[in-house]
Amino acid sequence: MAEVKLTNVKKQYENGFVAVHDFNLEIKDKEFIVLVGPSGCGKSTTLRMIAGLEDISGGEIMIGENVVNDMEPKDRDIAMVFQNYALYPHMSVYENIAFGLRLRRLPNDEIHKKVCEAAEILGITELLGRKPKQLSGGQRQRVAIGRAIVRIPKVFLMDEPLSNLDAKLRNQMRAEIILLREKIQTTFVYVTHDQTEAMTLGDRIVIMKDGYVMQVGTPQELFNHPANLFVAGFIGTPQMNFFDAKLSKDGGKYTASVESAKISLPEYICEALSKKSKLPDTVTLGARPENLILCADGTPGAISAEIKVTEMMGSEIHIHARTAGGKDIILRVQIADMTDEEQLELIKRKHFSFTIRERTVNIFDPGDGRNLAVENAAAVPQKAETVVNTDDFGKKKKKKDKKSKE
Amino acid sequence: MSKKKYTSKSGKERAVRIAIYIFLTVLCVIWLIPFVYLIFQAFRGESTSMVTYVFPKEWSFKNFIFLTEKTPFWHWYLNTLIIALFNAVLQSAIVLCVAYALSRMRFKGRKLLMNFMLVLGMFPGFLSMIATYFILKLFGLTSENAVPGLILIYAASSGMGYYIAKGFFDTIPKSLDEAARIDGASRARVFFRIIMPMAKPIIIYTIMMAFIAPWGDFMYASLITFGHEEAYNVAVGLYKWLDKEHISNYFTVFCAGGLLVSIPITALFMSLQKYYVEGVTGGAVKG
Amino acid sequence: MSKLTELEYLGLPPMKRKLYNAGQFFVRLPGNVLNFLKKIPLGIWKAICAVGRFFAGIGKIFADGDWKTRLSFLVMGFGQFFRHQIGRGILFLGMEGLFIWFMCAMGGGYLYGLKDLGTQATIKTLNDYGLEVVTYKDNSLKILLYGVLTIFIVVGFIYTWLINIRQNYTAQKLIEKGVRPKSFKNDLKSLTDEQYYKTLLAVPLLGITLFTVLPIFFMILIAFTNYDYSHLPPDKLFGWVGLENFRTMLATDASGSDKFAYTFREILIWTMIWALVATFSNYFLGMFVAICINRKGIKFKKVFRTALVMTIAIPQFVSLLLVSKMFADEGIVNNILLQLGWISEKIGFWTTQDMARVMVLVVNLWVGIPYLMLIATGVLMNIPADLYESAKIDGASGIKQFTKITLPYMLFVTGPYLLTSFTANINNFNVIYLLTAGAPKTMEFQGGAGGTDLLITWLYTLTVTNNDYKIAAVIGILVFIVVAVISLIVYNVSPAMKNEEDFQ
Repeated sequence: MAEVKLTNVKKQYENGFVAVHDFNLEIKDKEFIVLVGPSGCGKSTTLRMIAGLEDISGGEIMIGENVVNDMEPKDRDIAMVFQNYALYPHMSVYENIAFGLRLRRLPNDEIHKKVCEAAEILGITELLGRKPKQLSGGQRQRVAIGRAIVRIPKVFLMDEPLSNLDAKLRNQMRAEIILLREKIQTTFVYVTHDQTEAMTLGDRIVIMKDGYVMQVGTPQELFNHPANLFVAGFIGTPQMNFFDAKLSKDGGKYTASVESAKISLPEYICEALSKKSKLPDTVTLGARPENLILCADGTPGAISAEIKVTEMMGSEIHIHARTAGGKDIILRVQIADMTDEEQLELIKRKHFSFTIRERTVNIFDPGDGRNLAVENAAAVPQKAETVVNTDDFGKKKKKKDKKSKE
Repeated sequence: MSKKKYTSKSGKERAVRIAIYIFLTVLCVIWLIPFVYLIFQAFRGESTSMVTYVFPKEWSFKNFIFLTEKTPFWHWYLNTLIIALFNAVLQSAIVLCVAYALSRMRFKGRKLLMNFMLVLGMFPGFLSMIATYFILKLFGLTSENAVPGLILIYAASSGMGYYIAKGFFDTIPKSLDEAARIDGASRARVFFRIIMPMAKPIIIYTIMMAFIAPWGDFMYASLITFGHEEAYNVAVGLYKWLDKEHISNYFTVFCAGGLLVSIPITALFMSLQKYYVEGVTGGAVKG
Repeated sequence: MSKLTELEYLGLPPMKRKLYNAGQFFVRLPGNVLNFLKKIPLGIWKAICAVGRFFAGIGKIFADGDWKTRLSFLVMGFGQFFRHQIGRGILFLGMEGLFIWFMCAMGGGYLYGLKDLGTQATIKTLNDYGLEVVTYKDNSLKILLYGVLTIFIVVGFIYTWLINIRQNYTAQKLIEKGVRPKSFKNDLKSLTDEQYYKTLLAVPLLGITLFTVLPIFFMILIAFTNYDYSHLPPDKLFGWVGLENFRTMLATDASGSDKFAYTFREILIWTMIWALVATFSNYFLGMFVAICINRKGIKFKKVFRTALVMTIAIPQFVSLLLVSKMFADEGIVNNILLQLGWISEKIGFWTTQDMARVMVLVVNLWVGIPYLMLIATGVLMNIPADLYESAKIDGASGIKQFTKITLPYMLFVTGPYLLTSFTANINNFNVIYLLTAGAPKTMEFQGGAGGTDLLITWLYTLTVTNNDYKIAAVIGILVFIVVAVISLIVYNVSPAMKNEEDFQ
């Protein structure tokens, strides 16, 4: 039940590796924020800085009214759920949940009441007497959550809580977290590498890469208007297709020509483009697999392609193909209203043509990867071997990009 | 064809097994001979010197009675027991503290400290004994006061033997500490409430080793107790019975004393063998 | 041998690959050793840099500090008083007072005494009644010991002084920023939390400093004196002699004889042979026994294991002394062999040097195999079963499985253990001393050394029996150098120590 504010937060390890650069975020009270990104992007480090498990090298973190930079985790009034659950193996489930309350010297009957309440919410009342070893993965996860909610913390931190569960259980727990969130009204910060979790859980999502924030926004914003090529590629499966396109201006209208197709860009993009002082000649045009539409060969403005692989997914078909211009693309075709014969025919095809749904396209600057229609979009960091501190001999040491946190 | 091959293979296997059984049995016999011999000699009633045969002609408790009535053996025994008990407490406390600090906490100079202790360990321990002897003498803790003196030096240098306990602590997930700290525990509480209860095997191992070590120490004890028989530990006391002047009168008495020392230690060791094996293999594997 | 590319290497048949690897090891060895040696000046340079930074830091504090901080350079705790940190101020001021008092009353004298370790020897005179009167004057040993203690106290004080000015400086900076510095009470409280390591390490480190570091420092100094049986305090004085003792040990002594050097060389060589043979014979035989016991289908595993482990439990002074007597000239083994008629005269197991050396190695097997059996069993249990399964599917025979999986895995996992047990064997006092006490003695050796003496047991004899402390101290230092150099080279050269992840 508090706001969390991160201002210019930075994390640099002793070996010089910068895990988080200049992180700014205001988390509103009772908001569910998801930090997402590939491994090594700094999302866990950020969460651990909020928790106080990692020192802050620069900037400021506020929880509620307090600057917590130098506060021990125990004084921050937060709770955290760990990826490996971190249940105390020598204590019963009951004691695991009660541990934090006991440390705060609550009277015994109050502890009992709270533990029972928390167990009730999570449906683990009958497990209270067991030891963590006797529980299944899903049950352990519930206990870990129980331990966190029992104290009613100001901020609730979750570090990849579902990634140790199997796929089916993960879906189930995801739904339960959504329910849980409605029951206990508090601020959530949730870290995951799984974009589906991010999309389904978050009020807002923070996408990170190499220690930089790529975009902050609602799931819808991220999906429909990705700020740069990285976000566009990271969110959505199968991945967004990218085409090389030539921009041309005709009055107030912009047209992008991709191979044999001419795509007139939607209104809002044209407006944004016309405000730019300088535009690149060639741009990258992004279109999601479901926005490539099959059409009859010879349709004007269609692009033709050779099929490489067809994947039958049940309710839809994914077609991997190569366009006449040599681009590898993926199409997603809904087949719910096709007959079996039509589906079979589609699967057996070697060749097809498609058009691009104009309303949905995004235009990116191929140089720095920015979405040309999104204001203040972050550039994609250049993935290169970062050169870190020079040692006493003045030789330059090279560090690998990924660096385990110690 | 295939059947023939099968039988020949199982025949070969049987031969290998028989060979192994024979080898292991011989091995065990060789390994146990000294103990059997020790027991026979301890209970031998006739002649106190070494004899030319193994089986005693007369079984008796004479040697044990002699030990009790004519020698300060039980006094040495008590000395050693006191040292061992104190050492078990002090040394384990120190080892566990150092191991926890070096395994779970990150502070400036940690690596330096570990390397420093590694280098210190390369000096032969006995080298420092002369100076230690004079320091103890300064405090008046040699000769007649050798028991507290020995307790002090065993415990004082025990911080350097933290490796095995640290190796064990390193295997406990860090997230447990973190979870407890978020739950509201200070580092001290994490140590006592979370890590210690989980470290039971290594605590037992540490206590056991700290208890057993003083029983076998000859090098340090002989120097610190020099010239004062009352303060000897069992090793120093019994050692001198086997020199040229004493052996003919004391050989069987030595065996009786050795047996009295060995029985409780062996019993303790065997009953806690599991922990010993865990500690030793864990320590060796991690170096 | 020319270096191959990775693909060329992979294309070689297995035997050639091994040859190539062995060749490459020796090709690289000088380079690796050289690289390692190169690191030494780098380390020294780094140390110099660190010292430079250290003084620069102090200078910066003085330059940046306000008058309170600057005055604290002289009067410790001064700044703290003016910054309302009374508790800390009292602590620092008290320490400074104590230190000044100590230095004036005693420390200064002790330090001065280090110059020549005493000038007036004890005087023995006869009094009027013809009785001896002893007037104790300077005791070199005490002078040296107190001097060393004083040096440690001075170093400790300088460290406290540093903490004092650093604290002053950080407090000053915090106040300038408008933040209240942490109170003394908070600081004490953090000793159970952020700074808990200080609480945990205080007592152990004090113990180590007082009973390990200080004595070692003291003994290193002894190596540069003439402290021996003819210079025994309190009757006689001893003094500094520079590198004299090292010359005696490594080349020729004052009288021109190289007997000490010869003895040292011989014992060093035997120590190395002992450590190598003892380590590896135990290692491989222990592993062999473990494999036998753990073989599938062998019953009574527990019985065999327990019988062997018994030897670890029984105190070595009992078992080894007994074994030594069993093999003595009049011991039971000789007697039984005579009675059986297998030998016609007694075998001197401990009387000739070669025989005694073989015997200690053999008896050491009896001591060491159970340990290795336990360790090897632990490792064997940990070898992932699927490695064997896939090897079986690939058609590997039992022997192939051993050489391709078991052995490399064992060597890899226990590599560091091999090193520690090698250095432990260099310093293996118990086995040698309890079995032979260094015997057989020979006239060839100086300093009471015998045929089976290791450096460590010789060190013991030199100090306890011969009171030849100066030489003992030199040996101690040389043992340290040997152990340190071997460990460093092994750690730096051996690939197993670096590629920790290979098998995991």
